[in-house]
Amino acid sequence: MVANDVRYTEVLRIEALGKSFKGTPVLSNVNLTVHRGETVAIIGPSGSGKTTLLRSVNFLAPYDSGKILLNGKLMGYVERGGRLQPDTDANISRLRRSTGMVFQRFALFQHRTVLQNLIEGPVHVLGLSRELACERARTALKTVGLSDKIDQYPARLSGGQQQRVGIARALCMEPDILLFDEPTSALDPELVGEVLSVMRQLRGQNRTMLIVTHEIGFAADVADRVVFMEAGAIIDDRPAREFFGKPNNARIEAFLARHRNERSSSI
Amino acid sequence: MIEFAATYAGLYFKGLLLGLGLTVAAMAGAFLIGLFVALARLSQRGWLRAAGGAYVALFRGIPPLVLLYLVYFGLPAWAAQVGNPFLIALLGPLDNRLLAATLAFSVNAGAYTTEIIRASIQALPADQMEAAKSIGMTHGLAMRRIVLPQSLRIAFPPLCNEFIVILKGTSLASVIGVTELMRSAQMVAAATFLNLQAYILAAMFYVVAVIVLQTLSSLIELKLLAGSTTGD
Ligand SMILES: Nc1ncnc2c1ncn2[C@@H]1O[C@H](COP(=O)(O)OP(=O)(O)O)[C@@H](O)[C@H]1O
Ligand SMILES: [Mg+2]
Repeated sequence: MVANDVRYTEVLRIEALGKSFKGTPVLSNVNLTVHRGETVAIIGPSGSGKTTLLRSVNFLAPYDSGKILLNGKLMGYVERGGRLQPDTDANISRLRRSTGMVFQRFALFQHRTVLQNLIEGPVHVLGLSRELACERARTALKTVGLSDKIDQYPARLSGGQQQRVGIARALCMEPDILLFDEPTSALDPELVGEVLSVMRQLRGQNRTMLIVTHEIGFAADVADRVVFMEAGAIIDDRPAREFFGKPNNARIEAFLARHRNERSSSI
Repeated sequence: MIEFAATYAGLYFKGLLLGLGLTVAAMAGAFLIGLFVALARLSQRGWLRAAGGAYVALFRGIPPLVLLYLVYFGLPAWAAQVGNPFLIALLGPLDNRLLAATLAFSVNAGAYTTEIIRASIQALPADQMEAAKSIGMTHGLAMRRIVLPQSLRIAFPPLCNEFIVILKGTSLASVIGVTELMRSAQMVAAATFLNLQAYILAAMFYVVAVIVLQTLSSLIELKLLAGSTTGD
């Protein structure tokens, strides 16, 4: 494959994605491509399908139609005789390694210390030696600024610290794309900043990121592209500067106005 | 009564120890059964879920005494009747009272243990499984390394309770001649004609044993709790 081949830099490609929960459609005809090094923000009203879309990418939420390609590989299904059939748990798990997820409510392993949370995947999934995994963990902890918490249990940390450990855990797997599902929305307002600043730092390292967020200012600041979702569909997908410079839809404009107000009133 | 107790305490104590041994063996069996049947009940495969559900429905429904008779009197006799050497080799050993009692109580308690372990797995927030999968773990690995270690801590108190239930249930083994505590009491009653004293002493032995076990389990529980929230 040639290095400047377009597909080569496509980390994630979502084609005509569809999903329903018990007959109620929650995603319909979603198309989205994320290139290596790109930061894409997904915004939109509550219930518009942002979480479901993100969880389809690593197949925590299986999709019904369309395709998800990670580095060109189909996620969740195998093509046999022109038909898509569910893939095995082993194959799905292997492909998941190219993604890292940061959860809204952190989801740290409560029975493990910070260090143990971070080396769990590298040791038991990637098969790295303990020493190598610990080295990775220390580097990741330095990135998120929590080197001094290495032996703490998650329950002893603040929400902001837990979320930074969550980010470090994802980094330790060295994924090709990081998925964030409203990483700051479960945090007290005074703790939001520390998490956003870590994410800004990752942006500076040219990581590939897909971020669902309600932090409009943050999205405007770090995203290369902004995707707006409404009722299970993407209704806008443009470079951030354009998107915020001139909203092309009255409902998007209203949404942005509302959220900017929320922000200014809450600080 | 004190004199009576002093005379027979040794005999009763031997019976209690045998009952405790039987309980430990049955609990070990029940735990293994419970673990596998609970995992089956939560499996992604429909037929495994159905099989697990059937196990619980069946063995929760059979009274332990009936099960004991089935295992001790029924199975070896049936094997001999059929005359199949494989069946005789497999079921013949159930002729042994202790073995039969261990199996019957394991299978019975296994149904309850299944429900305890299943409930404790479901009590864990779903995000633990999801986070484990998000770092590339398969369902099995995530169960083993992330879900079960936390769930079994939740399951510990009800499992201790189940242990106590099994211990009291071992008194049923007296009917097939296992010389546990109840059987010892029956023998003393028959020999002395002091029925009331004989059975009161047995009751007191059970009560003390249960109190000791309960205290022990609370102490271990505190230790487990401490381990999950603080450093070592
Ligand atoms: N497990 C589920 N079962 C049924 N409906 C669901 C489930 N998860 C999400 N939904 C529905 O799907 C829609 C999209 O939800 P979600 O992806 O969480 O939206 P968002 O993250 O944008 O708020 C909502 O209407 C929600 O009620
Ligand atoms: Mg959401």
